[in-house]
Amino acid sequence: MTRKREIIFSIVRGAMAIMIALLVAMLLIFISADGDSFGEKLSVTAEAMKQLLVGPIFRINATGIKFEGKRLADVFAAMIPTIFTGLSVCVMFAANQFNLGSEGGIMLGAFISAIVAIYMPLPRGLHALVCILAGGLVTGLVMLIPAILKVKLNVSEMVCSLMLNYIIMYIIKYLMNTSYADKSKGQIQTYPFLNSSKLPALSQAPIFTSSKLSWGIVIAVIAVVVMGFFMYRSRWGYQIRMIGINQDFAKYSGMKVGFVIVLSQIIGGFLAGAGGGIEMLGRYPSFSWSALPGYGWTGITVAILAGNNPWFVPLAAFFLAYLGKGCDMMATYANVPTQLIAIVQGVIFLFFAAESFLSRYRQSLVVKTAKEEIAAKMASSEEGGKKDE
Amino acid sequence: MSNLLSNILSPGFFFSIFRISAPILYATLAAIVVEKAGFANIGLEGLMMFSALFGSLASYYAGSWVVGFLTAVIVGVVMSLVMGFFAFQLQTDIILVGIAINLMGSGGTLFLCKIITDITEGKAMASTTGLVTSGICIPNISIPLIKDIPFIGEVISGHSLLTYLAFLVCILTSIMLYRTSLGLNIRAVGENSNAAASVGVSVLKIKYIAIGFSGLMSGFGGAFMSMSYAQGWSQDMVAGRGFIALAAQAMGGGECLGGMLSSLLFGFAQALGIKFSAVGLDSNLASPIPYAITIISLAIFGFVRINRAKKPKVAA
Repeated sequence: MTRKREIIFSIVRGAMAIMIALLVAMLLIFISADGDSFGEKLSVTAEAMKQLLVGPIFRINATGIKFEGKRLADVFAAMIPTIFTGLSVCVMFAANQFNLGSEGGIMLGAFISAIVAIYMPLPRGLHALVCILAGGLVTGLVMLIPAILKVKLNVSEMVCSLMLNYIIMYIIKYLMNTSYADKSKGQIQTYPFLNSSKLPALSQAPIFTSSKLSWGIVIAVIAVVVMGFFMYRSRWGYQIRMIGINQDFAKYSGMKVGFVIVLSQIIGGFLAGAGGGIEMLGRYPSFSWSALPGYGWTGITVAILAGNNPWFVPLAAFFLAYLGKGCDMMATYANVPTQLIAIVQGVIFLFFAAESFLSRYRQSLVVKTAKEEIAAKMASSEEGGKKDE
Repeated sequence: MSNLLSNILSPGFFFSIFRISAPILYATLAAIVVEKAGFANIGLEGLMMFSALFGSLASYYAGSWVVGFLTAVIVGVVMSLVMGFFAFQLQTDIILVGIAINLMGSGGTLFLCKIITDITEGKAMASTTGLVTSGICIPNISIPLIKDIPFIGEVISGHSLLTYLAFLVCILTSIMLYRTSLGLNIRAVGENSNAAASVGVSVLKIKYIAIGFSGLMSGFGGAFMSMSYAQGWSQDMVAGRGFIALAAQAMGGGECLGGMLSSLLFGFAQALGIKFSAVGLDSNLASPIPYAITIISLAIFGFVRINRAKKPKVAA
């Protein structure tokens, strides 16, 4: 198949998956809509869908539709943690390691960064860097547990990392209850971060301001570029992808499979942990997470949508953040519960991951290409024949 | 410490081990059968969430636990067959299908609960705990004669119907796997699906049966969670039991008896955690114990397995 047709196919396939998910969403909204008649329900559904699709960027009211920079900034802000978990999952899944530890990883990274941000005074700038690195390194080290158990003892990294998520959550909760909580507050939270550790807001311009959008987004973009080059332009990245495609081949061609598998999970852990730190320092005044944040699971969706390719991670993260914001808007203005996002996300996820989804269409494209190639060959050979005469 | 010990040596403690183990055992059996058929279903967590929600809703609207229980089971089976459709027909990686079901199972159930019942607690939460009363829960059964035996009677008698059923189903599953042609086919497909196909076994059908069985077990487990273990469904109530089951399956060597013993071990660890908080220790310190035990025991089993695999080579 030609490259152009490959691209057309992926676009059609993605669009179909999204369409199906939106149809499911519409159906659910319609069923749950308030209203006595069919028409009434339909108009409520239409209103909710409008909020879902354009609400994340535009304000809709009686006078018309108006661009809202603040909402767009919120969408960008929501991308920060999921870009990091998405990259983290990409690296691990690319090596065919189903490590699901990004969920616990981002919480651990956030917690470690928070502790460094509170108790280790350092000059401005350096402080944030140390916090983020500490969060990333500790999480990377924790990911050694599933990685080494997998390589040495063939223990399922999936089960092991799932268990680690819970262990991390409970230990953090225990530490919060016993040692690090600010007892003067009603809610369980740490003391506030030192000012020197905070990531400043990206923009003060009134059109594009959001208290949630920090310089973290810039760090996230840098991470995407670094990981993109790492995966597609470096020796280790090549080995990670090769092991994911065919581990036996990689082994017989002399790659250190065990080392690379461990490496991919350390990098995955580092990215998740660093992402947690960046999210914490850019958005919150103190650490108060009492449960797993869910960014790890969204990260898996991001990685699947991006096809484990770091270059597509920002696009996938933007799409999911946009949908998430749309669901929030729908909850606020159309009274549809915001958890609809979970179902929409799940359906899109399923159809993106389904390899044979639209395989007939793909087949028809392949056949078409082959026919054209044959026709072209025939034409050129006929020409050649004429010359001979 | 002596306080903790006297708490542990009470019949109530042993009673709670069985009660806590039952849903884990159901999910473990689900994991065992699909593993025998050659794949892994990590969506058990999500399946149990859906079953638990719809079971509790149906029992409330119908006013009968039987209807609720059947609904939970049907929901579990239907959803697992949909998973099978994506995995076998659309060639989706079965692990990714499981992740998708879990994604929907945690947020999606809350969404469905909100739109079906119109109940919201505060702004964000919703549950069916206000709807389900003890009358429409799965009944507890006290066994005549045995219930009068001191200590043992208190431990064994008075459990939920589904708790007894869990151990019965465990035996039946073992018989199914090793004494019936269906079980033979399931194991053959898992061992070598090409060989099974060559002798006329429909591999696709067997795989559907296996994943359908895992949905059935998740239905039992989900019904137990929302209609016996707790009264009503609440968000994330399954709390990782579907994942623990994967560990119990691996720890039990993929066999029913081993799976049952490791389920009981997890039940023991959780019951211990509850007793920890009863004597004033922070429960967050005890809660991670089962998860840590899982990792440690998986490591030990892996170590033993690898050593066993090495030995014949040394002898040769």
